[in-house]
Amino acid sequence: MDKQAQLQTGPEQDPAVEQKIQRLRELFADAPEVGKTALENVLQRLTSDASKTPPPPVESVGRVGSRLGKVSELTIIVPFAPGGAERLRAFLRLFGGNLAGADEVGTVHDMRFVFLDNATRMLFATAYDGDWDAYIDDFATKIPDFLDIIDSAWEGWPGIRSPEAKDYLAKYQVTAEGWYVANDLTVAETRRLKRIGEAVEEFLDKVGD
Amino acid sequence: MTLIDRVDGNLPRGRVTVELDDIQATVLRYRPEPYYGTHVMLHVDDARAGREFLRRLTPHVASAADWWQAGEPWIAVAITYSGLVALGVPEGSLQSFPEAFRVGMAARADKLLDYGENDPSHWEPHFGSGLIHIGVSVFSDSEETWRRTMASARRHYDGRPGLTVLTAQDFGAQPGDLNALGYKDSIGQPAIEGSGVEPLPGQGPAIKAGEFILGYPGEAGVPLPVPRPDVLGRNGTFVGLRKYQSRVGAFNRFLQAHARTEHERELLAAKLVGRWRSGAPLTLAPDRDDPELGADPLRNNDFTYAADPHGHQVPLGAHMRRMNPRDTKLGLLTDVNIHRIIRRSTTYGAPYDPNAISKQDDEVARGLYFIFISAKAMATMEFLQQEWINNGNFMGLGEERDPNVGLQEDGATFTIPQEPVRRRIHGIETFNVLRGGEYFFLPSLPALRWMGASPSD
Repeated sequence: MDKQAQLQTGPEQDPAVEQKIQRLRELFADAPEVGKTALENVLQRLTSDASKTPPPPVESVGRVGSRLGKVSELTIIVPFAPGGAERLRAFLRLFGGNLAGADEVGTVHDMRFVFLDNATRMLFATAYDGDWDAYIDDFATKIPDFLDIIDSAWEGWPGIRSPEAKDYLAKYQVTAEGWYVANDLTVAETRRLKRIGEAVEEFLDKVGD
Repeated sequence: MTLIDRVDGNLPRGRVTVELDDIQATVLRYRPEPYYGTHVMLHVDDARAGREFLRRLTPHVASAADWWQAGEPWIAVAITYSGLVALGVPEGSLQSFPEAFRVGMAARADKLLDYGENDPSHWEPHFGSGLIHIGVSVFSDSEETWRRTMASARRHYDGRPGLTVLTAQDFGAQPGDLNALGYKDSIGQPAIEGSGVEPLPGQGPAIKAGEFILGYPGEAGVPLPVPRPDVLGRNGTFVGLRKYQSRVGAFNRFLQAHARTEHERELLAAKLVGRWRSGAPLTLAPDRDDPELGADPLRNNDFTYAADPHGHQVPLGAHMRRMNPRDTKLGLLTDVNIHRIIRRSTTYGAPYDPNAISKQDDEVARGLYFIFISAKAMATMEFLQQEWINNGNFMGLGEERDPNVGLQEDGATFTIPQEPVRRRIHGIETFNVLRGGEYFFLPSLPALRWMGASPSD
């Protein structure tokens, strides 16, 4: 799935980077003094590191959102339906706020549900493997009830089985401006490596006895 | 030979709840054995001529009525999006088709991971250009009836002003019906609820008709969006066609490089696919081929992976197991039933040659028209290409890809689980290279009549 990462050239050679730096300096002209000083310190460090290849930029994933390597981000900010916040809060408390049941999905690294603006809007953020909607139809047949309990807290949710569900999610999705992934491993790979690691430790324990 | 003859009359009959009389035969009739046929690609220069062609041909297009015992040759007609435009289908109808169908397979190359040597820029003429408007296919179980049926189909387009024949590709007629890499293929089709036949042994529970035919509830309990008006969309479905060139030289070189004896080579060939060349599955014939088993449709698909969770018989990455994981425990929440496709693939060109090992042999014209049918063929093919073919994550295989139709990167691997340690073969190449592809709408018979009789005439 990995396409060849597009490598940027060092900032010294690249007029586009020069332009970006120029633009930064213009914007920071009005910044507080600490910000201005900090920017110059960082720019100086970047320039002296010019021999190092900068990291590849994030890719876009599906209609909205970004991906780094195998891991994608999804952020949704959506208004609550009347009574939706109370319903969802009560539901999440049933599990003590821990959605460990999502283990079986196998592509989700993390999820957070944050109630904003006096519980009138919700922020949902997750890191997951692969493409935006590859498995959404599987969710609709395998775990529709969980999704409809959570998502019916949102204004105008059409239901996970509705053909409009994908459009609804895309409408409220906001692409992250920045994105960092420490482990470029899928959830499945992480679980596999964990098992292998345990087996190796067990082996070494026995050999070392 | 019809399906009911192939199983000696032991066909478990079921209720018919889909409108077989309106559905094209190809959706349900299995590819004949043996099989002969032709795919013709037409361009419509003039909407009126295109509609007249549909009017004349439609009476000869077979329906799916009694599909399990219908033995005569049949004609199928399918239309691309640019074909619907060329035929003058109204704008409101055009916009009611799914976006991936409207832009076409080539434009979805990034979603299908068709890059590198599979990139549409390397495709054969006409594919992906928007010029292919109508596909006409003839299927038959004898050379004589094939030629006769072709002649009657040809009368309606040959030399007609306003219609251009872009390509005509004969297929089938291979010794033993083997594909270009030397295997019996197209075993293991999905069972469809309400089609009149209960699942054959090993087919698993019947899948809701709406997954394969527009206008019926799918596995999620609701019908997919149907193109408008109803007469156009209902009982139709979508077809994806992908033309592959089989690199027989590369395939044989791989077998020779990684196996020492004839038996080891055949076992390796079986591990790649999950079946021996005869079609006998490794689950039921783990040690050596069993041609009688391979030829028996009541037995050759009758297995699960319950006794083979780690892939010691059928490797987790084998083509057959990827394309239908059955009861394999997957690491990702997956509903196998919503990613199944009906396959009507056809082999073309020179037969498989086990002694072909040169680079030139890779380019001898032979391969596969991979033809798949689903009410959501575009979404399903994108899922398959991304998740089950050009990825290994769902089987815990990292970035390993399908050994048969995957696009292999440099240094790609194929893993064969075995005791005490798995065997990992490095340097597997792309054995089937994509040379073209199109999405078609496969209209119902009433829809063909509706399009043929557009009000502007």
